[in-house]
Amino acid sequence: MSASGSTQSRLLRKPFRLNIARKQALFAYAILLPTLAIIVIFRFLPMLQAFYISLHEYDLIRPPTFIWFHNFIDLVQDPLFLNSARVSVTYVVLSCVPVWILSLALAMLFNREIRAKSLFRSAAFMPVVMPAVVNAVVWTFMYHQDGVVNTLLEWFGLDPIPWLRSSKWALWAVILIGIWRATPYYMVIFLAGLQAIPQRYYEAAQIDGANGWCQFRHITLPLLKPTMLLVMVMSVIVAMKVFAVPLIMTGGGPADSTRVLPLFIYQTAFEFFKMGRAAAMSVFLFAAVMIFTIFQIRLFSHGEDV
Amino acid sequence: MRRSSRHRHAFVTYPLLFLISFIGLLPFYWMLSCSFKTNETMFLMPLQWLPHPVNWNAYGDAWKAQDFTRYFVNTAFVAIAITVGNLLLASLAGYSLSKFRYFGRGVLFLLILSTMMLPIEVTMVPLFLIVKKFGWPNTYEGLIVPFIVEGFGVFLMRQYLQSIPNELIEAARIDGASELRIYAQIVMPLCKPALAALGVFTFREAWDMYIWPLIIVTKDSLRTLPLGISLFMSSFGTAWDQLMAVAAIGTLPMVLLFFFLQRSFIKGIAISGLKE
Repeated sequence: MSASGSTQSRLLRKPFRLNIARKQALFAYAILLPTLAIIVIFRFLPMLQAFYISLHEYDLIRPPTFIWFHNFIDLVQDPLFLNSARVSVTYVVLSCVPVWILSLALAMLFNREIRAKSLFRSAAFMPVVMPAVVNAVVWTFMYHQDGVVNTLLEWFGLDPIPWLRSSKWALWAVILIGIWRATPYYMVIFLAGLQAIPQRYYEAAQIDGANGWCQFRHITLPLLKPTMLLVMVMSVIVAMKVFAVPLIMTGGGPADSTRVLPLFIYQTAFEFFKMGRAAAMSVFLFAAVMIFTIFQIRLFSHGEDV
Repeated sequence: MRRSSRHRHAFVTYPLLFLISFIGLLPFYWMLSCSFKTNETMFLMPLQWLPHPVNWNAYGDAWKAQDFTRYFVNTAFVAIAITVGNLLLASLAGYSLSKFRYFGRGVLFLLILSTMMLPIEVTMVPLFLIVKKFGWPNTYEGLIVPFIVEGFGVFLMRQYLQSIPNELIEAARIDGASELRIYAQIVMPLCKPALAALGVFTFREAWDMYIWPLIIVTKDSLRTLPLGISLFMSSFGTAWDQLMAVAAIGTLPMVLLFFFLQRSFIKGIAISGLKE
């Protein structure tokens, strides 16, 4: 190939330059290849295979048998699955909405001029620094009947709550941790969004006599809209995959009250070895995540020459 | 007028900041202080904010109960390997996707981008079957290779590299530098801030990994710290002092990372939400 290229180059200048371009393209393919291989084998293939397995009955020992859509038909009639889906939706809604409000409020607070700002910000940021499993362990301890959470409630004259032992409260305990951990994370994202708003808009508004609420309503909110959309999508996807905290704290109980979908998928696959059924469940989770992912890709690639 | 309103704000702002700091720090503080309490003072009423008497044994006892040295080394090795892999592969892929023109570039980028938000919780069953086919359960390969590059890193590096002027690369080409050399000696040094942010972000995520090791690891010698901590909790659930001690050890590297690389730590999270 290079020999023919060099003979041509003597005749014409253009094919020679094309050859350089081809060399560069080859280099570009070569350095993209490892990433592409990993992503295709460990992300794309599993995605497709999930559909394939979901049409089978498979326990890892006997060969898989093709059973059409039986896994799906069974699932929509299975009260445990329906309960799990309901728990997941409850968790997502009740943890995400407070996170949106609190993280924006916190970002606005930290966007002001305050003394010892970095000290306060580090303290507020601590939940993100702690690993998920550590969180689960420490909060289990704090939610103990005689633990620190109930003691704090007592300071305010409230009765102790049997956090992890009651099916009424356990999901709330998990949700509170979710809020506690996610809020500083999205606060950082909001803070970046706030700092991108030019200060002169606010100066101009002040000259015109706009008060704080007015500035928030007519400058901050509209200019922060892309960030807000992004935080909403991200937080919902992250909340949909909550796993470590419910598994370690409650194992899904009491009375299935904290058995979120990812936990149920894990248990179906790796405790009961029903691979097909677990794959069918993940197809449902996949559909939910996909709706948000498509939404997010549109956000990400907006205005780009993809 | 602005001054007085700021003064009024201070009466609300600072108590609020102390409250937020209290809520943010409480679990961290409680973990530390209770790792030095004895089982008699653990649930004492009223609460003991400072451990008295101090129990110095929890860390040593917990370390003896399970092979935490091994878990710690495993986690560090896996997290470092994943971080190095992500930095190298994502920067190469990002360089390819931002500075070269070739057939299929847009489609390939979209393919990578589309896996960015695909959580492992969705693909865990088929991913396990694929890794099993490779013969990788209970191996370091099984822990590392599926996560050695992520769509997010590629996206981030591509975005960052687009801001680097093409003229620099062209000039190096005219000087006769090889493509690999241009990448390593000209492009990468300019990417240091992005690499630092991506590195810290990836390390944190890898240190946190739980569901995948839980699926792929059954041998004690391959357990990571999160697995070791949760196992300790299910086997010695009431030894709270020791449990808090191992939790503290598991948190320590993250705290160090945060304090020494705070800028990159926060930047990594801020860019995980950036649109441009």
